[in-house]
Amino acid sequence: MIQTVRVSYLSEKKDSYKIRSARVYRLEGIKKKDAEILAQKLFCEPINQVYSLNRPLIKNTSQKVEIAYRPGVMNPEAASIIKSAKDMGIELLAADSSWEYYFFEKISEDEIHERVRKLNLFNETVEYIVKKEPKTLLIRGNVGSTAIVPIRKMTDEELLSLSKDKLFLNLDEMKIVQNYFKKIKRDPTDCELETIAQTWSEHSGHKTFKAKIFVDGKEKTPLIERVKKEALKHNKNIVSAFEDNSGVMDFYEGFAISAKGETHNSPSAIEPYGGAMTGSGGVFRDIVGTGRGGKTLISTDIFCLANPNLPSSKLPSGCLHPKYILKQVVRGVKDYGNRMGIPTNNGSFHFHDDFRAKPTVLVGAYGILPKRYAKKGKPMKGDFIVSIGGRIGRDGIHGATFSSGVMTERTNSVNSQAVQIGNAIEEKRTFDAILEARDRNLISAIQDCGGGGLSSAIGEMGEKTGVTVELKNALLKYQGLSPWEIWLSESQERMILAIPKNRIQEFKKICKKYNVEISVLGKFDGSKKLKVYYSKKLVADLDMKFLHHGLPQRKMIANHSKVIVTRRIAKKNNSLIVSKAQKQWVNIIKKILSHGNVCSKEPIVRLYDHTVQGTNVLSPFSGEEMDGPNDAAVIRPLLDKPYGMVVSHGLNPILNRIDPYWGSIWAATEAISNFTAVGGDYRNASLINNYIWPFPDEESLWSLDQSVDAVVDFMKLLKIPVISGKDSLSSTYKGKNELTIKIPPVLCISVFGKIPDVTKTISSDFKKQNSVICLVGKLDIKGMAGSAYFEVLNRNMATEQFNNIPHVDLKLLPKTLNTIYRGIQTGKILSCHDVSEGGLITAVFEMCVGGNFGAEIYLGRLMGNRADYILFNETAGCFIVEVQNEKIAKKIFKDIPYFILGKTKKEKNITVKKKNETLFRENLEILKKVWQKPMKEIFN
Amino acid sequence: MKPRILVLKADGTNCDEELAFAFKIAGGIPKIIHINDLRSKKENFKNYNILAIPGGFAYGDDIASGKILAGELTSFFSEELKKFIKRKDTLTIGICNGFQVLVRTGLLPFGTIGKMQATLTDNDSGHFECRWINLRIDKNNSCVFLKDLEDQIISYQVAHGEGKFFANNKTLKTIEQSGLVVFRYIDKKGKPTKNYPENPNGSLNAIAGICDPTGRIIGLMPHPERFIFKEHYPNWRRQKIDRPQGLSIFKSMISYIKEVL
Repeated sequence: MIQTVRVSYLSEKKDSYKIRSARVYRLEGIKKKDAEILAQKLFCEPINQVYSLNRPLIKNTSQKVEIAYRPGVMNPEAASIIKSAKDMGIELLAADSSWEYYFFEKISEDEIHERVRKLNLFNETVEYIVKKEPKTLLIRGNVGSTAIVPIRKMTDEELLSLSKDKLFLNLDEMKIVQNYFKKIKRDPTDCELETIAQTWSEHSGHKTFKAKIFVDGKEKTPLIERVKKEALKHNKNIVSAFEDNSGVMDFYEGFAISAKGETHNSPSAIEPYGGAMTGSGGVFRDIVGTGRGGKTLISTDIFCLANPNLPSSKLPSGCLHPKYILKQVVRGVKDYGNRMGIPTNNGSFHFHDDFRAKPTVLVGAYGILPKRYAKKGKPMKGDFIVSIGGRIGRDGIHGATFSSGVMTERTNSVNSQAVQIGNAIEEKRTFDAILEARDRNLISAIQDCGGGGLSSAIGEMGEKTGVTVELKNALLKYQGLSPWEIWLSESQERMILAIPKNRIQEFKKICKKYNVEISVLGKFDGSKKLKVYYSKKLVADLDMKFLHHGLPQRKMIANHSKVIVTRRIAKKNNSLIVSKAQKQWVNIIKKILSHGNVCSKEPIVRLYDHTVQGTNVLSPFSGEEMDGPNDAAVIRPLLDKPYGMVVSHGLNPILNRIDPYWGSIWAATEAISNFTAVGGDYRNASLINNYIWPFPDEESLWSLDQSVDAVVDFMKLLKIPVISGKDSLSSTYKGKNELTIKIPPVLCISVFGKIPDVTKTISSDFKKQNSVICLVGKLDIKGMAGSAYFEVLNRNMATEQFNNIPHVDLKLLPKTLNTIYRGIQTGKILSCHDVSEGGLITAVFEMCVGGNFGAEIYLGRLMGNRADYILFNETAGCFIVEVQNEKIAKKIFKDIPYFILGKTKKEKNITVKKKNETLFRENLEILKKVWQKPMKEIFN
Repeated sequence: MKPRILVLKADGTNCDEELAFAFKIAGGIPKIIHINDLRSKKENFKNYNILAIPGGFAYGDDIASGKILAGELTSFFSEELKKFIKRKDTLTIGICNGFQVLVRTGLLPFGTIGKMQATLTDNDSGHFECRWINLRIDKNNSCVFLKDLEDQIISYQVAHGEGKFFANNKTLKTIEQSGLVVFRYIDKKGKPTKNYPENPNGSLNAIAGICDPTGRIIGLMPHPERFIFKEHYPNWRRQKIDRPQGLSIFKSMISYIKEVL
């Protein structure tokens, strides 16, 4: 029998509805009197709560609804309840918790259900409305058997239908699988097929990046080869590149720092809260799963979404509304990162309505580890295969293969099981145990159970040695999983380690101390085969060679689009010019400042713990009111040393779409400019590239090829390497009636690097009144396409009718970066901010916000006819810099183009003058309100 | 002799390293100890002078913040804790999640272990809040080690979702009359405030931190261990900072113990 305790929660008002809520605790396997003890001691705090036992909490309303996790979805709270009850001497068989909501008007059941959906109190993907009280909380089931799939005699059509929605392999690949089994004269088990599909998935196999590629008829070096070849030329700081879960570079005093960017787009499209959580959990784990164990220091979050005010009618079927996605991804990042104690202190948002079919959710993580453990570990013959952390459940099946497929309107219903609910505390204690084990040198090798679960982790680790695995030893959340499900199910909170036989007892002790569950699954055995058993019955028996090298290199064709898009070049005197009226100028500026890409994200940052670990030395926001945004994160990874790590990023999907080469150059330049603007030294930086691209048809592959060339050229230019990267080539949506949406291609470049002294870094807020404001670098003022300015002028995305996006002056860039770096080192530069979305006037405005100063700007000779182009141009690689006086400016910028824009002022106005004539003047506080409003409205 | 500090760790504790570091800089010998090592008797409270419970999300803050860890402490360590807090050469501090734990064990406000008399509940704003706020250390408060800092204004960072101090009128009155309030959220004019965001959670009487009647147990929501260097403060580049204001607390604790020892 189940005892049910209900505890009143806060009485509150949601929107205009009066609602009361209660927590419901269901307890199985104990007597009523024990439930009463738990109610009094554990669940209810009489200072502000009341409880009821086995009866409703509120008598005079029948208007209630209970929302619980679906059976089988892991509720992280259940384990805590069982633990705490046990601490009090009460042994539970099972426990669950859920929410109950009470309404005080006469409304029907249907109306209640409608209301909880509307108020986002109910998430159908993982929760359900409890209509009948459960009789038991235990999930039982019979173990599914292992099926033999008669692949040898299948027709092409049958092969394709087997692949669809499940294996996501194409016909050629299916035929290779078929031939392999014809050759060994037997049919495969389901477990074997799933293993092959997972290993060969785009997610795990990166088939496009490795493919033989023909661009406009000519063969070019495969994409990944191009990146690697150039990168390895610049190896002064490289410790490990392209061979581990993250890229590792040298730090100081025997330490190395590492970085990784990871996307989680498909799950976030279906269940943004869980998707963002597992995205965070997944990338933190990549840092811990680097070398023989790393520590995660900070995290970054980058989201591309449709505008939050998108009319619902424009939403393709099967897709969630961007405002809902926005709120939920932020909540996911907050709940996971904060619980892990990993500060989220850098990130950005990009809004474009073509993200309506699928958002881009990119999480970055950065870590540190002793150099002696920084190289990828190798399992030794005889080492145990050890699984630690979260148990295996049915959630998390098919993540790798699913995220490699194109999203369709059916995705939401067919693949909902691919969403896991993250359990940050599970991951946290697992990491704690790993770091202690690493410091005692117990770990030969480590791998995560992300895309593809045990299959990918053990399959990869055992590639050279071969493995024998007994699945019966795996710890399950509940019984009833088939062997292939146990083998394939993913979790952010489970890690696989190779532990030497003679150290296993010591390792088990550490796990016990941290309350981490452990199971020994098998051995690295030297057989060069993958042998998987369930209860001693062989369920998979594959050659490692076939599994890892059986997939032939793809041949892929890239072609410049044959459809010629008529694009106009923005002319010098076209009709976009802003009138002379001050009011018009101010209106335009207000529109730009409230544009999603430009507006203040402070309400979001305040939800993230951005300084836990005590390493932060440059906050996301600083200044007089702590509301001026900074360009990058600076942390002190070793608390007792002055050394710094600087982290930044850059991307611009719209520029990428208009011009993949120069758009990619822009992204990389923006990233390194952000890095430099706070005091980073680009010569001691490394890059991470993440490609989130539409499905690689000929046209999209062509743009991807362009983008990769841009990254290679960028490395060449600055002589610094890309050391890690990831591709996700499934940003295509196929809906009803042939509706195809190609999501704008995203190249995100992240930069991280080392500096010897954190005290030689700066923030963006203006420091003094009457100091000199300079523009440093060269604006490409003809390149206005893709700017926020063009977008606010032409709401209907007319921006892309122009193809002249800003070109960065590549010859000048290294010099500019070096000058800024030296200016900061010598203390001559008081504050600095790079020019990006919203143009130079936005940069000046943000520096005024931080400094609580006004500014007076003279456009003078800079202006020509187009003050608007000067003020709103978004050429990356340009900086707004504050120095004490003109003499200093003249001295430090003597080798590069610069222009004295004006001065900071005590009066809090932003004034722009054309020689003596005032173009406009507006009060800083008024502009600040406009800039802060959009996210305040959504998040407060 | 250097005071020894037990920095308590459980599943989900995540401010332990910086807290231990703060004590080290302040001149103590900190050790991060997992609660399972106390349960297995490998470690014992009696070997330490300061018990420090760090921030984080102990056991995920399931059921209520700090609840499960508080339950574990009262279930297994009631007697040991009673002995520990009786010793004149000990201090106890809980920061953020640690404060929530101390309140839920009953150690704060009145040192009644096993009997909870006040609570820290959801922020009035309904959400987690990470920002720097200003505090004033109450005049004539009962805390034994903050005499030199009384009436001073300090800036610390808060980072929590459940920090609203709440108690019934009678309890609140006793707390005030006994001088148990140590820290209060203040506005720009230096006055205690109810207003968001200066008071980030809506705490009654703007209470940010309290002590017990002995003045040797203290808890606060803001994070002094995140202001150990001047560079911790976001505006160190524009304001002159005489001393890292978080470090003062740890130094005072260390000097207090040294005097008593």
